[in-house]
Amino acid sequence: MRAFAHLSATELRLLSRDPSSLFFMVAFPAMLLILNGGSETLEIFVPGYLAMILAIGGIATLPAVMATYRERKVLRRIATTPVSPLVVLTAQIAAQLAMALAGAVIVAGVAVFWFGVALPRNPALLVLAFLACALLCYAIGFVIAAVAPRARAAELMGMLIMFPMIFLGGAAIPREGLSGELSEIGQHLPLTYAVTALRESWLGNPTITPYIVLTGIIVLGTAAAVALFRWE
Amino acid sequence: MTVIEVEDLHKSYGHTRAVGGVSFEVARGETFGVLGHNGAGKTTTVECLIGLRKPDSGRIRVFGEDPGRRRRALARRTGVQLQESELPDRIRVVEAMRLFASFYDRPDDWRAVLERWDLGPIGGKAYADLSGGQKQRLKLALALVGAPELVVLDELTTGLDPVARRETWTLIGDLKASGTTVVLVSHFMDEAEELCDRVAVFRRGRIVALGSPRGLVAETGTGSLEEAYLELTGERRDGVEA
Repeated sequence: MRAFAHLSATELRLLSRDPSSLFFMVAFPAMLLILNGGSETLEIFVPGYLAMILAIGGIATLPAVMATYRERKVLRRIATTPVSPLVVLTAQIAAQLAMALAGAVIVAGVAVFWFGVALPRNPALLVLAFLACALLCYAIGFVIAAVAPRARAAELMGMLIMFPMIFLGGAAIPREGLSGELSEIGQHLPLTYAVTALRESWLGNPTITPYIVLTGIIVLGTAAAVALFRWE
Repeated sequence: MTVIEVEDLHKSYGHTRAVGGVSFEVARGETFGVLGHNGAGKTTTVECLIGLRKPDSGRIRVFGEDPGRRRRALARRTGVQLQESELPDRIRVVEAMRLFASFYDRPDDWRAVLERWDLGPIGGKAYADLSGGQKQRLKLALALVGAPELVVLDELTTGLDPVARRETWTLIGDLKASGTTVVLVSHFMDEAEELCDRVAVFRRGRIVALGSPRGLVAETGTGSLEEAYLELTGERRDGVEA
């Protein structure tokens, strides 16, 4: 437990020292919000931004970090200590989650207190949707880390998967603004279901479907990551 | 008392035989050198000792336990410095020390270890900004912060300048004096001669000689461990070709 606490805190510190993580997970979403500040329907932007924060960290940053640790034999070094490899992975997740939470609190705070967006109607369900979205992104991230041959490849794959998801899945911009074909593609992306769950819990009209789909993808993704992950 | 027992260890990667029938023992408090050219099977042998690789056959016991099955339990008592392993670029020296100390139940005071290895003045530096010698010293300090009974050091002084090498030797000497068992993988013969009680000379996956540095020098009728090593590995080229 002590090792887990130290590892998570260290990973969080390293993340916050990474200028691109700090910018894209904490500052960028709030900036987008301010740019869209004139919109009448700002409340449909905010839940999407929460998903965007989690996707940037989980799908793009996480696999790059894990693949770098493998390539530079950090994982191998830790394997020679009493710490379980599982602790290394969960600490990574804890750090990502803490970073995302910081970004989420800032963007939601600006939305509510600056632009007067109505508070989430169903906060408990919003937390659940946020966690489901987080797990979805981390499962995808670990699959990328598992299949990428090198750190640079993991970085590139993360970007190539993350960007279409946040733009077509309604995270960076609401799907209402997409043209027919793009909107059609967006409908089938995993992140879309997370955006839907977040939006519905914020607006207070939740449905069960997105949670069922998300649970399925999380289980499959985690199983694939466990089966494919290589420590060296 | 015996800390390490290796009996007829075999390990191949595909069709390449890395280790083919290696046996040796290391006693408590002993400093044991594993010598040989690159590719002689040194690192594979050591990786089997710490449970990072599973032998194809043979028997290994460390503190009486099988490292293949009890890797994490043995890791509590073993400090390791791996060849080529790095740390995250942005981690600071003090952070790495504190982090690794948290991995062990009864670690040494990491601040004391930091001072002993002269890392105090660069405690706030990020790993990426350290010189090669500083990185090496940090990796050694991290191997020792858990107060291990057994220390496995792969390429101890590679990348260190002559002054730093001598300083490292002194610190390994202190470690020996404190009763710690040390396994030292090296291809520097002066280092092995200075530090090791016994050495095993590896060649193509086998041990071709095992004994004290002085014993090997006497046995081969040479003047130094370096010459003895070249003789034993069949690399002596100074006109003795018949």
